[in-house]
Amino acid sequence: MEPPKIWREKRERYLAIGIQCQDCKSKSFPKTSFCTKCSSSNITEYRLATSGKLLNFTKVTSTSKEMNSYAPFFVGIIELDDGIKVTGQIVDCKFEDLQDEMRVRMVFRVLARNGEEGLIRYGFKFTPE
Amino acid sequence: MNKAGIVSYGSYIPRYRIRIEEIAKIWDEDPNELRSQLQVASKSVLGPDEDVATMAVESARNAINRWKGDPQKIGAIYVGSESHPYAVKPTATIVAAAIDAEKELTAADLEFACKAGTAGMQMCLGLVKSNMISYGLAIGADDSQGRPRDPLEYTAGAGSSAFLIGTERVVAEIEGTYSVTSDMPDFWRREGAIFPSHGVRFTGKPAYFQHTVDASKGLLEELGTKPSDYDFATFHQPNTKFPLTVAKMLGFSSEQVEVSLICKDIGNAYSASSMLGLAQILNHANAGDKIFMTSYGSGAGSDAFSFEVTDEIEEVKTYPYNVDHYIQNSEFIDYGLYARYKGLLR
Repeated sequence: MEPPKIWREKRERYLAIGIQCQDCKSKSFPKTSFCTKCSSSNITEYRLATSGKLLNFTKVTSTSKEMNSYAPFFVGIIELDDGIKVTGQIVDCKFEDLQDEMRVRMVFRVLARNGEEGLIRYGFKFTPE
Repeated sequence: MNKAGIVSYGSYIPRYRIRIEEIAKIWDEDPNELRSQLQVASKSVLGPDEDVATMAVESARNAINRWKGDPQKIGAIYVGSESHPYAVKPTATIVAAAIDAEKELTAADLEFACKAGTAGMQMCLGLVKSNMISYGLAIGADDSQGRPRDPLEYTAGAGSSAFLIGTERVVAEIEGTYSVTSDMPDFWRREGAIFPSHGVRFTGKPAYFQHTVDASKGLLEELGTKPSDYDFATFHQPNTKFPLTVAKMLGFSSEQVEVSLICKDIGNAYSASSMLGLAQILNHANAGDKIFMTSYGSGAGSDAFSFEVTDEIEEVKTYPYNVDHYIQNSEFIDYGLYARYKGLLR
């Protein structure tokens, strides 16, 4: 969990900011320095919709050491209301509560803590709406 | 000059709760006696991926979304807490980035036990009234600690409340504020210590009650108002008994305080406690209503405020993610899961 990486990804993780191409108008996430559809570098920041529907989900029980204290946790693919699909954790619910197409909204959470003394990485997750 | 006061507000309470009975069962104590003493049924508990920064951000976002204004116009962010996630590295900078308020603003973390959030409100009011900033955001947020088996364990909850202070579209004018401060050894946590210590019954009469009464009476005298002039009142809620008792001492009725009594469901949210009570009142207030609030922070001090609600309240009070939403959106957990979420299992 390197400080430069946390700093570089701050707007992407905290504010869910991707890009919109000013030539072909396509939107994408995560942030890139060029359009993933037409390769144009004429892009601007685009803030993703903050709610959407759950397309697929699974329970993660076997994790890295860094994520062990959060396991088991649930990960899903969410289609946001602007059509962009993102992957994220679904929190504040039981696994049996999750259903395909259920409405979810973004919340701000701890993504990982680097032990007792290291940095805390924050970012978006999802919770049932 | 336009009225200065609350432009918007937002709150956050974590989903998890533990009942007083569940804690009492572990220590073989009488839950009925505890409930009778504290008048608290359950307390809020943070999820494993939450801390003061995440709660502060959620409450701040609720304030911004309720306001529908531009966060780039916020000139100051103060986060009051006694449980900031970092000893060195501000929570306020995380909030600024997460609400897109970077970079031309001042920010700081504050600590004054349970009243650092209201101290932040006063700081924002001063900056706004002196025209140094257009808007200031004051947040009270805490994930309070209680040593297992300590009386605090039954009430030490979690929550956050954010108030945007400004002069445009004010929903509640701040008519006045008055503070008292004295050096008081009633409650403390040394650097590096995990759990706080306290002076047991000493935390009551010379600490909570004396400071709350002194600040409240000071403001009433300064404004020339009396308790019956107010539609609502709220005080710091370490339990439900204390605010009801201090209200009676000051001449407020229990009906004036009742709307704000969230402690019975979520426990003591420390820096957020009186601010959550104020947010809950605003959700139920109408134009022209007068609100009285006095916070209390151990160590010790109290900040008293007088508010008058304006017509603008109708525009903002229907925002869905309010205190009632978070109180109702709850899941009760047992002591085992509580111990895991509180980091008591190592």
